[in-house]
Amino acid sequence: MRWVAVSLLVLLTAGTACASGPPEVVSAKAVLATDAVHAGQTAKVAVLARIEPGYHINAHKPSLDYLIPTRVTFDSNPVLKVEKVLYPRGKSVKFDFMDSPISVYEGEIHVGSVLKVSTATRPGAYTFRGKFMYQACNDHACLPPASVPWEASIRVVPSSVPLKPANSEIFRAIHFR
Amino acid sequence: MVGVILGIVVVVGLFFVNKYWITPATTKAAKAGGQFPEAPGFQVTSLSGNKIDLQAYRGKVVLLDFWATWCGPCRIEIPGFVQLQNKYGSQGLAVIGISMDDGPAPVREFYSNFHMNYPVAMGSDKLGMLYGGIFGLPTTFLIGRDGRIYAKHEGLTDMSVFEDEIKELLAAPPNRKVADFRTVGYTAAKQIQTSTPAEVNSVVPGVDVSKLSPAEVKEYEKVLSQEKCQCGCGFSVLKCRQVDSSCQVSLQEARAAYKKFVKSHHS
Repeated sequence: MRWVAVSLLVLLTAGTACASGPPEVVSAKAVLATDAVHAGQTAKVAVLARIEPGYHINAHKPSLDYLIPTRVTFDSNPVLKVEKVLYPRGKSVKFDFMDSPISVYEGEIHVGSVLKVSTATRPGAYTFRGKFMYQACNDHACLPPASVPWEASIRVVPSSVPLKPANSEIFRAIHFR
Repeated sequence: MVGVILGIVVVVGLFFVNKYWITPATTKAAKAGGQFPEAPGFQVTSLSGNKIDLQAYRGKVVLLDFWATWCGPCRIEIPGFVQLQNKYGSQGLAVIGISMDDGPAPVREFYSNFHMNYPVAMGSDKLGMLYGGIFGLPTTFLIGRDGRIYAKHEGLTDMSVFEDEIKELLAAPPNRKVADFRTVGYTAAKQIQTSTPAEVNSVVPGVDVSKLSPAEVKEYEKVLSQEKCQCGCGFSVLKCRQVDSSCQVSLQEARAAYKKFVKSHHS
């Protein structure tokens, strides 16, 4: 079983930036809650991270202080200011190598964020970027802390143009409070 | 009559079992003895400030554990290593821990809390690269009295596996290769890759350029910077080697280019 897990670890290296280093077990992308945004208003953004089957990453609030938490960072951007980042609650899972369950993320997770669009922003298309930072393990080994970049395009439109909702299913599941 | 036939069947059966199963297995194990590489030498300073020079451990069996405090499986293994050090230290076992944490503070705390009884030093990518690249933790090597790596275990491994291997290696005389070392565990049988310090410290990580003149090194770097790496990174081979020294694709490309370069310049 363990041999299979290691083979899986090796196989997962295929398709990564350089094929024989540590496997990249997380991919990330960002989506917006509306098709465009207005200057001076807030915009909701979700970073979607997909974790390879068989792996888990620590929750943003890990159950033990030595575990490295998952974090989403935003590159500094003159157009957008981060007001709030909302992480999902971790799933409590008991692994063979732990005495008690730990709080982790598995599968796909959505990290919500509220961004303020600068008042002075002119209508147009803008790109903003960030990193999804994590530390992954499977049931018998851990990979070094890593990060994957994400980026999203945002379209700023005049306030007279109405905004249309987008990606509703994703944003419905995020509790913006 | 039935008994005689049954006896013949058993004897013939045992003959084939031996010929096609047992004999190939032992041959394989004996052959494996030839592929165990020399453990790359290194010098590091332990958390307590003492120098750890692997060369000084010649004649001992060394359990070299790459680990980190944030790694759950590593934390599970360490009390077992403490016990092994207690049990076999007087017979010649030396456990060495290499922490891949970013800084020593959590390692010192862990060392104290877990009552670690063997030296621990902070690791580096270069040290990991000497040992073929440390992609996952824990990764543990067992080095025989003759300085060869006999086993590499990636991931949480049962202490009984380590203990069996340690006992076998301790039984071998110093400076004698354990040719019939019974490979225990899933990673021991596969070829263990290591690098030399000249390869690790090279301007093209993984390729020993010490035989080239400074001008030739520049020229070789230029060749690599003009060749696109096929690993999918989008960089040149040179850049890929510098950015991700663990990439085996760029390593093979850089080594192939080196051979070609040396052939055209030194023949």
